[in-house]
Amino acid sequence: MTRNTNTAVPAGVSSPAPRSATVGGDTVGSRPAGPAKRRARRPQALPYLLLAPAVLAILALLGWPVISVAITSFRKLDLGELVRGEVTWVGLDNYREVLTDSDFWSITLRTVVFTGCCVAGIVLGGLVVSLLMRHVPPAVRVVLQLSMVLAWAMPIVAATTVFQWIFDQNYGILNKTLVKFGFDSFAGHAWFTTGFSTMTVIVVLIAWQGIPFAAFTLYAGMLSVPGDLYEAAGIDGANPWQTFRAVTWPAIRPLVTLTSFLSLLWDFKVFTQVWAMKEGGPNGESTTLPVLQYLKGIAGNHFGVAAAVSVLMIIVLVLVTAQYLRLLLRSQEVEL
Amino acid sequence: MKGWKGLAVGVTAVALAVAGCGSKSDSGSGSGGNKTLTVWLMTGSAPTTLTDALNKEFADAHPGVKVDYQVQQWDGIQQKLTTALASKTPPDVIELGNTQTAQFADQGTLTDLSGSVKDLNGDQWLAGLKESGAWKGKQYGFPFYAANRTVIYRKDLFQAAGIAQPPTSNAEWLDDIAKLKAANASDPEFQSLYLPGQSWYSLLSFIWDNGGDVATKSGDAFKAALDTPGAKAGVNFYKQLVDASGTKAPKDTDEAKPQQSDVFGKGKVAMMLALPWEAAGAIKADPTLKDKVSAFPIPSKDAGKTAPVFLGGSNLSIPATSQNADLAKDYLKLLSSAKYQGQLAKGGAVPGTSTDVSGMDSDPIASAMGKASKAGKVTPITPKWGPIEAGQNPLKNMLTAVLTGAKSVDDALAEANAAINKALS
Amino acid sequence: MRTKKIVISIVAVVVAVVFAFPTYWMVTSALKPSKDLLSTGYDLLPTSITLQHVLDAVGKPNFAKMLGNSLFVSIGAVLCSLVAGLLAAVPLARLKFRGRKGFVLLLLVAQMAPFEALLIPMFLLMRDLDLLDQLPSLVLIYFAATLPFTAWTLRGFVQGIPVDLEEAAMVDGCGRWGAFRRVTLPLLGPGLVATSIFGFITAWNEFLYAFTFMKTDTNYTLPVWLSSFQTNFGTDWGGTMAASALFTVPVLIFFLFVQRNLVAGVTSGAVKG
Repeated sequence: MTRNTNTAVPAGVSSPAPRSATVGGDTVGSRPAGPAKRRARRPQALPYLLLAPAVLAILALLGWPVISVAITSFRKLDLGELVRGEVTWVGLDNYREVLTDSDFWSITLRTVVFTGCCVAGIVLGGLVVSLLMRHVPPAVRVVLQLSMVLAWAMPIVAATTVFQWIFDQNYGILNKTLVKFGFDSFAGHAWFTTGFSTMTVIVVLIAWQGIPFAAFTLYAGMLSVPGDLYEAAGIDGANPWQTFRAVTWPAIRPLVTLTSFLSLLWDFKVFTQVWAMKEGGPNGESTTLPVLQYLKGIAGNHFGVAAAVSVLMIIVLVLVTAQYLRLLLRSQEVEL
Repeated sequence: MKGWKGLAVGVTAVALAVAGCGSKSDSGSGSGGNKTLTVWLMTGSAPTTLTDALNKEFADAHPGVKVDYQVQQWDGIQQKLTTALASKTPPDVIELGNTQTAQFADQGTLTDLSGSVKDLNGDQWLAGLKESGAWKGKQYGFPFYAANRTVIYRKDLFQAAGIAQPPTSNAEWLDDIAKLKAANASDPEFQSLYLPGQSWYSLLSFIWDNGGDVATKSGDAFKAALDTPGAKAGVNFYKQLVDASGTKAPKDTDEAKPQQSDVFGKGKVAMMLALPWEAAGAIKADPTLKDKVSAFPIPSKDAGKTAPVFLGGSNLSIPATSQNADLAKDYLKLLSSAKYQGQLAKGGAVPGTSTDVSGMDSDPIASAMGKASKAGKVTPITPKWGPIEAGQNPLKNMLTAVLTGAKSVDDALAEANAAINKALS
Repeated sequence: MRTKKIVISIVAVVVAVVFAFPTYWMVTSALKPSKDLLSTGYDLLPTSITLQHVLDAVGKPNFAKMLGNSLFVSIGAVLCSLVAGLLAAVPLARLKFRGRKGFVLLLLVAQMAPFEALLIPMFLLMRDLDLLDQLPSLVLIYFAATLPFTAWTLRGFVQGIPVDLEEAAMVDGCGRWGAFRRVTLPLLGPGLVATSIFGFITAWNEFLYAFTFMKTDTNYTLPVWLSSFQTNFGTDWGGTMAASALFTVPVLIFFLFVQRNLVAGVTSGAVKG
């Protein structure tokens, strides 16, 4: 028909919107595991038995598909091959196809910068909101938490559409409000004419969807700080900033690391919101790696090429997060 | 990590074991002994009265055959079709957008219908659709239904502006735009024509009307043809319409954002280039528009003629992996009969396998569309075209660049030409 | 001090309003008549209200069935991932054994898997297991998608519970399993609830797998219903917004239900041992 049959690949599991409050990571009560050492001398079977369901599920349901994507990236897998179950090896052709695209590196750079902006926005925003939660009276806190949950629970299709409406050039409430406040130049202002402006709107959307998760996580971390530490700081005459630096920050720092890490993984892979906003436009200026994957692979049913983009994305992710992983693993060492 | 290598082997076994996790499941549709013909049509394609009667008649005529009729939605349909074709029990009849059929045919995933064309009322097939369902000399698509754009207009506003007859040439059309504008000068929200900057299906009409095309076939390959005078004239006319009407529509979106039927439904727009159901959408928003809305075919530069239009629509195909291809052909045969084609026409679509469009006459919008459909054309029939439409269509960027003045018509067209050549190569 | 509190409160309320605004806009759009969706007037408050869209949304065929399916796959996936996640979290937090670090790394790296891109291999896997068009396949997929996060987070919770408590119980003759059941598990309750929200929202919202892996109308989940307002003949945005608003309600209920436990749990779980 005249309408695209695949304008929006919808909310996927890895999308960042629905995030849940969690407390955890490595903050709460890391302690010397003396007893653990004692137990360690016992027969080794128990830990492996307990881990077996999770590890096997991950290997079978995530590991295997990932490996098969990696294998697919060296095959020609179009619709016909898929339907007939044919295996056609093409060596590095799929990678060549992606890497020789003159825009590949600029798209990669754009994706990394975009992810960085999202993560920065989410973590800083989450920090501010969690501090607010910590310091406002209970009634206000409930209001704030409720509005966070509302933002969090909104389906992606509704969220992206509402954002487009808010930023609409003729009917958008934003332009109308700006005009009301005297900024007449915003009458009929088009927000999506440049890549920069489009990306900014998308970052705002992603941050808006992601901040609740970060805020609840960091807030939970702050609650674990014993109240007497704050009292002690108060007695020492510390100003709020000093208190934050000396008391709050050390407690939530691992959580900040954790939130940044998760946001990074999620935001790097965002497709639905980016595509829905402007289909990677104008002139491809808001095209990120997941959009490239759609354009080069999925739209034309070239699954081999799509798989190659997946592999490249994982490589970039590992490179970007290498430092994080090292950090997290080192903190493991300290604990044991 | 030593001890783990052995465990990793049991991967499939675990997947099975974990499957128990979900506890009781309602198992899928049981295909009880007899044959089941699975038919997938898209949501809203055919009136339910038609499909109900069709499925019943088919089942009655084929004892022991059950019709498993399923309505699919557009969102995610590409992935759904792709995976379904690779499943053990693929559907037996599927609906494909006419610009997509070549893509599926080229992959060898569809049954060749060439031998059955005659049997399926082939001499009455709608030319544009038939063409779109053919690939390398064989017929893979069975024309289902089509629709094309007309100019949907407000009779009352035309009358008030002193326009007695809808325009029959581009010159008259521009005149009428000026008249409408003058008659409603006091209303700042009024738009004589709503034309968003990236309505590229409308652009196709203008390009074809001026003798140009998006791409032309040379041998087996297509070559972009946007560097021709015809294409340039088409783009210039588009720009002329935008300038003359002073449309407030965004220059960087198509008719879906915001939905032009919703804009039209607000009652401040006199004309839009649209499909019949967009008029229906506007009427749904404001029922008082019902008696005020009509349509005329898109005028041509030559007085008295109408411009060629893009024929959008669907083909039906039988997957190559279907286990009931003969039954599926029977099903198509029944659908191609005058009875059901007449119902399609009455439902407001151009029927695919019948030249009789009298069913559309009662509705002024449908009949305008029916008239124009005879001059229907389609986008280049190549598997490479589908991804252009589904992806970042260079024609859209070109239009925005021209209308915002970011680039000259020549530069923008040259760029789009190169982009389309790249995509078609 | 007092003025400071007031200033902070005002800031917090402004932030709350900004964050809730898109949701507010979704709800008012669901209640506006279609012709008011694009308005040139200043319409912070809707000028007229209709329940038509809500009725349309609820009146779609198979709504109740899809709601049931959604609850089944979401809760099923959450339960699976809590059980497997908890089993993994305990040894990772409490026991020392060879390869422990490797498992933690596995949990981290597993979250890098690009989930949408796994559609095809996942489809082939389910096809070969004969699980297509069966709801358990979705349970499995959402289970896999949420498990690494759940296991990782629960590990943090287990670490937060003082080992001394367990040991005291063991001294009292509980045995290791008894100590776990009587002491650790109750203290973990809030942690289980907190991680379950993540799993629930993830499974509740997923569309692509739900749409492509199911074939029978009665096996679809609610996200399929949510996108059914987009048709070939344009999108019924009022209906989409009404459906979205309704779609959010179970998540809100879930959250309000667990929210008190969440905060209480955080504080109790954080008692330093």
